[in-house]
Amino acid sequence: MVNYIFRRVIVAFFMLIGIGIVSFIVIQLPPGDYASTYKGYLLARGATQEDADRAEVLIRQQYGLDKPVAEQFINWIKDIVTKGKFGYSFAYGKDVGVLIAERIPMTLIIAILAHAISTVVGVGLGIYVAPRKYGIADNVWAIISFILTSVPRFSLAIILLYILVIDLKQPSVSSFFSPQFVFAGWSFAKVVDMFQHIWPVLLIAGLGGVARNMRVMRGNLLDVLGSQYVQTARSKGLKENTVILKHAVPNALHTIVAYQGTVLPYMLAGELEVAIVLGLPTLGPLFYEALVNGDIYVSGSLLLIYGVLILLGNLLADIFLSILDPRIRYS
Amino acid sequence: MSAENSEIIATGSSLNPPLDLPAGLSDIVVLREAIPGQEENESYTQLVWRRFRRSKVSIIGGFMVIALVFLAIFADFFSPTTIYGVDLKASFIPPQIVHFFNDANGNFHIGPYVYNMIYTLNPKTFQVMWVEDTKIAYDIHFFVRGSDYKLLGLFPMNLHFFGVSDGGTVHILGTDKFGRDLWGKASEAGRISLTMSLFGTIISIIIGSVLGVASGYYGGWIDNVLQRFTEFVTAFPSLPLFMALAALIPKTADSFTVFVLMACIFAILSWTVLAREVRGKVLSLRESDFIMAAKEMGASDARIIFRHLYPNVLSHIIVILTLTVPAIILTESFLSFLGIGITEPLISWGLMMRNTQDIQTLGQNSWILAPIAFMVIAVLGFNFLGDGLRDAADPYAAK
Repeated sequence: MVNYIFRRVIVAFFMLIGIGIVSFIVIQLPPGDYASTYKGYLLARGATQEDADRAEVLIRQQYGLDKPVAEQFINWIKDIVTKGKFGYSFAYGKDVGVLIAERIPMTLIIAILAHAISTVVGVGLGIYVAPRKYGIADNVWAIISFILTSVPRFSLAIILLYILVIDLKQPSVSSFFSPQFVFAGWSFAKVVDMFQHIWPVLLIAGLGGVARNMRVMRGNLLDVLGSQYVQTARSKGLKENTVILKHAVPNALHTIVAYQGTVLPYMLAGELEVAIVLGLPTLGPLFYEALVNGDIYVSGSLLLIYGVLILLGNLLADIFLSILDPRIRYS
Repeated sequence: MSAENSEIIATGSSLNPPLDLPAGLSDIVVLREAIPGQEENESYTQLVWRRFRRSKVSIIGGFMVIALVFLAIFADFFSPTTIYGVDLKASFIPPQIVHFFNDANGNFHIGPYVYNMIYTLNPKTFQVMWVEDTKIAYDIHFFVRGSDYKLLGLFPMNLHFFGVSDGGTVHILGTDKFGRDLWGKASEAGRISLTMSLFGTIISIIIGSVLGVASGYYGGWIDNVLQRFTEFVTAFPSLPLFMALAALIPKTADSFTVFVLMACIFAILSWTVLAREVRGKVLSLRESDFIMAAKEMGASDARIIFRHLYPNVLSHIIVILTLTVPAIILTESFLSFLGIGITEPLISWGLMMRNTQDIQTLGQNSWILAPIAFMVIAVLGFNFLGDGLRDAADPYAAK
């Protein structure tokens, strides 16, 4: 197991480098470099040509943009690891690391909550429908799960926004808290208020996850229920509930754990879509704005962050699985 | 199996002429006919169809897809008005309700009709809005002559599926800001949404099947490298990367270039599922008797791959195709909705949704959400279809 985890971490490390390279390519791809973009930004803000030219040269030296691409990449990674500096964002006038630090806690809270809720509900539904294979409940839930994964999530968010703003006239949809709680310390009432604001994201990001988890759990449980040891358990005269919950479910859970690594990108993508539509201050809207405005260090860094989050999720799922199931070996 | 047997013999014939095959082949044929009462084997396609037909949901899915494809191809025909014109005087007309029986004045009337729409000031709120003018009713006729268009861009026509007589309008889903009929526009948008996803899927299938077959067939270090690469691409956050790459397409690029680039962007991240499935299938086939036999007879790798392996993984490829298309439709619509995807004058469902970003416009004209229905039907249809095909693709497996 230790050997497996060790090898898994090494693979993850190489993937991390790969993700870093791709993110860096996204920063490098637009025509012109950061210095010339900054010059354009200064000119647009009314700076004189000479000032802008001087700033361009200064920035090129300061950021080492005149060095070869490989060296720039290594410097970029080195700054991130040692100083937590990701690069400068013009739109916000801060280092991208500060922006990310501001927004990442809520993004993670939302993604993890949506993830946890969808796993619990999805697994529960899977356990409920599997023994009722091809029954009414099974078919109804199958169709519901199909519909849940088929509706574009951004359009669900628009519909929900419409209901919240136009029909229910709910204020401050695009924030996490009502005005009276913004400066208040953490309390139970503040948490309740937060949930009143983030439930649309949790709901929409989580719904598709519920459907996916349910389908996987149903399939696994059906496979396990067909195996001989379940038949033995039944023939001992155990109650059907005991057979399912005590004997079959634990063995069907392995695949769900392995599957969580796949669900996480789906959750983050859902959070991204819904947060952009609702305008919630998480990483999603920041990423989108950066893409539209050509704020390259923000978009590249966020791509890296998203990659790292998903990589970590996959790694944790695999490690957890190897603890849960000692038969797992690295192949 | 019969097809494979004869295939092996045929392979031999091209390599070893002295085997005297024609006689051998005819022997087999004679042998078959000689056994009376032997059951006629059903072909693979027949078996697949038999299993597919049993699943009602997949049939429904198939119909949904076909309906959308027809609407998209013949959008000009199905739209009561021209789909290219702009009429600012008709902006934001709500969906016109189709009535069937007696009109508001109590006169006997049968058959579908709509009332005239007039633009008036609401006396209470002073809001300008469209209301039904029950004094004038227009009968909806089918196969009417209307605005000119070119069917498939080739044949000049003016026949429309339905429409009303001159002076009236019939917008069953309402109109948008520019007075364009949403029903006609959404049908037309299907052209881009569907062709782009299909185009992207085909590219991804080419990449995925080549890498999958190579990985499974050659094994060894090639397999190792390709597997790690596939793992890497799978682990990448796809939606953020799609967004980042789509945003890199220059704003000045013309619509067609954007279309092609978008399809390529979707393709480079969507091939992994297929590559995995094909690899698994090829791995299991590699050791099978008929591949061994082909190898023994000296068939080249290319021949084995294209003549023997591909036909056997084709069913899986088709299944993945039907499941990749909806995924691309969803992503494309989101990107176009954000304005980093398809650009005017091309139109896709996601781009139509762009108007809904303004909550005020949306609040007064909720019917501009109509394209959602088209997207859901498309995605649901393909998912249903793919699900049924997946069960049917392997008809030899025990149910």
